[in-house]
Amino acid sequence: MRLTRFLLRRTAQGILVVWGVITLVFLLRFITPGSTIDFVAPLDASPELRQRLAEDLGLNKPIYVQYADYIVNLLQLDMGNSLLKGRPASDVIFARLPATLELAIAATIVAILFSIPLGVISATRRHQPVDYGATGFSLIGISTPNFWLGIMLILIVGVNLGWLPTSRRIIGFGPALELLVFEGRTIGIQVWFEHILLPSITLGTYFTALITRLTRNGMLEELGQSYVEVTRAKGLPETLVKYKHVLRNTMIPIITVLGLQMGTLIGGAVITESVFNWPGLGTLIIDAINSRDWPLIQGSLIVIGVGFVVINIVVDALYMYFNPQVTFE
Amino acid sequence: MDEPFEITMTQRQDPTTLDPHNHRETPTDNVVLHSYEGILWRGPEGEIIESLATEWEVVEDNRHRFTIRDDVQFHDGSSLEPSDCAFTIQRIVDPEAGGLESPQRDQLAGTTGAEVVDGERAIDMLSGGPNPMAFQNIASYAHVVSEDWISERDNEEIAVEMNGTGPYRLADYEPEEYVRLEKFEDYWGEEPDVDRVEIIAAAEDSTRVSQLLAGETDIISAVPPNDAGRIESEDGMSIADIGSTRILMCPMVYNEEPFDSVEFRQAMNYAIDLDQMIDEILRGFGVPTGQPTLPGYNGHNSDLEPYPYDPDEAESLVEQSGYAGAELELEYPAGRYLLNDELAQAAAGFIDDLENVSCEAVSRDFGTLAGELLDGDLSTTPSFYNIGWGNTTFDASQTLTPFLTEGTAIYHYRSDEMEQLKEQWQVETNADEREQILQEANQLAHDEAVWVFLNREWLVYGINGRIDWDPRQDEYFLAQGMNQA
Repeated sequence: MRLTRFLLRRTAQGILVVWGVITLVFLLRFITPGSTIDFVAPLDASPELRQRLAEDLGLNKPIYVQYADYIVNLLQLDMGNSLLKGRPASDVIFARLPATLELAIAATIVAILFSIPLGVISATRRHQPVDYGATGFSLIGISTPNFWLGIMLILIVGVNLGWLPTSRRIIGFGPALELLVFEGRTIGIQVWFEHILLPSITLGTYFTALITRLTRNGMLEELGQSYVEVTRAKGLPETLVKYKHVLRNTMIPIITVLGLQMGTLIGGAVITESVFNWPGLGTLIIDAINSRDWPLIQGSLIVIGVGFVVINIVVDALYMYFNPQVTFE
Repeated sequence: MDEPFEITMTQRQDPTTLDPHNHRETPTDNVVLHSYEGILWRGPEGEIIESLATEWEVVEDNRHRFTIRDDVQFHDGSSLEPSDCAFTIQRIVDPEAGGLESPQRDQLAGTTGAEVVDGERAIDMLSGGPNPMAFQNIASYAHVVSEDWISERDNEEIAVEMNGTGPYRLADYEPEEYVRLEKFEDYWGEEPDVDRVEIIAAAEDSTRVSQLLAGETDIISAVPPNDAGRIESEDGMSIADIGSTRILMCPMVYNEEPFDSVEFRQAMNYAIDLDQMIDEILRGFGVPTGQPTLPGYNGHNSDLEPYPYDPDEAESLVEQSGYAGAELELEYPAGRYLLNDELAQAAAGFIDDLENVSCEAVSRDFGTLAGELLDGDLSTTPSFYNIGWGNTTFDASQTLTPFLTEGTAIYHYRSDEMEQLKEQWQVETNADEREQILQEANQLAHDEAVWVFLNREWLVYGINGRIDWDPRQDEYFLAQGMNQA
């Protein structure tokens, strides 16, 4: 019951957040220079043509009417049409969302796979060559700009060695999985994997570096606690001490950071997407902002808002798992 | 049977629609012109050639007749009727007729409609008055759709399907990911070499270059000049380039200080070393301009040379103008055209080098800048800005009218002389007379130094050696013009 109440409260909060975001966006429209009509109408359009196009798109209604219309439509799950693409904004956004989620999850997996073992090893072998290697790697990882790493990987692995494709996604994970399950063909998954590998390494490197550091520092702090001595005195094997007890207590800050980063990634990783021609939300939102395509901007912000709320719920649930002292209340 | 010849082409932007009449962008044309054809068409140098019409003539000043082919099929199997051509023109100029508010309507300015000629395979295009641009406009716009097919669909469907008469039919379309086209077997014209085409887009320059070098795509547009050498040095890769239909310039608002002085405006042109800018920044991919109209266009004045680089002359003209000590800002739209940030900064730098003028380049967001330019209010327009202008009608008037005559959304210059010339070029139907009027207007624009004239933008393509292709001035890259090498 407490769980249901918790979820209900969080959902209500989430709706409030999204509503707040939409309202803010409408307020911003007041003070943002430039109008969508400048992008829809050709540069040499006559004033009459501009006027008619604006009417056609509903741009010349007062802003509060547009706001009311939007909210009413949204309650019917209609986000309006993208002004530039003429298609429903929801179609445009949901076509891009899977690519963004795949990349966000893949980058996080890359990060977890490498960072946690690296952090643990480096903490338990403090001031040994492995530790220096790991801290050196994380320093480089944190300070390497994404676009540079991406372009280098493309040039070396894609162009010079020819091992992996340079860009694009070709097939989504969903259709690739369908191909595997229903037709027993692995080619889909293989193509998908080949295409997502470089972007997820590019995007994941920074997180790997960040979380390696967090893990190392957290582990070092915990290893100094007296309960560690007690568990050792009880005769528990060293692996169990490190991974079951110490690491578990280090997880709270790591999950917080992972959650935050995932939240950012839901909005798309603009630079990585653009270098790898990955059809995600990030480049879409930038284009939408640059062309003042408000329905598309609003729709994307709603999706991102919902993503944030969901991730926060998951993060809270994970807190409880790792530290039962945390409760729903 | 040979292997089918399949190619992939990467451009900068995805098409925003597949409706040939609901856009004004080259990336969309690059897709839809595989499937839709004009009543007339253009050769690679811009000359008008036949397409779905075999003959075209002026019947009266306001009545232009086109004789339509009788051996043409749409992709859905129906045959092309003259009524389809008339409907196409109606759909662009009349929102009631085709249920569409077409952004191309101004491109057929003056045209009021079209009708089928009784008892003939011909249509008449009707105008409110004399229409000297009729054939130029029809050669650039009015891509023919099937009246029945359009009537049965709403605009959302027309945006994702195609049914034209062109050499390629739509095979598969995933918006913002790819468009796949295949050869249309019943095409009336010459059978193209390429069997299947995939068109994709990558906004990032380095991504397109990598795709080409890795062999993932066969042809890329907008190669950055700095990468051209690298592509050429690669085995089996080459560069193809041609002057585009776009010019870059820095308009100066004629009634704002200090630009209300002709001497001052001329001084700005003498101040910049355009040749050096083109060599250093564009690696030679560009040509200096000295008038609004490009060579080969109707109305180009071949007597006019670009302003030479002469800073001493510039300084003395500034003195004469009485605006010595002027402080200027040159506002440019960030990253909008090929290296225009660097070009604008260099131009501002040259002007700043003058003893008696200081100038600073200011980066602007294109949307914001466009808003200020297009609101029809000259007082909100920056007095000195950088912009690019494409003119695919190959007629001088499509550049002169919007910028240099009063009453358009983007004008920044007005003079009685130019207004009088406009009155004439809008109605003169004698081709030679009209050309002279336009040449005179270009002379005036040059003498009056209405802009700081910059370069003609260059089109630079990277091509895999398995394709043989000559680029077109109008920026279209279409598979029907490509051959297996």
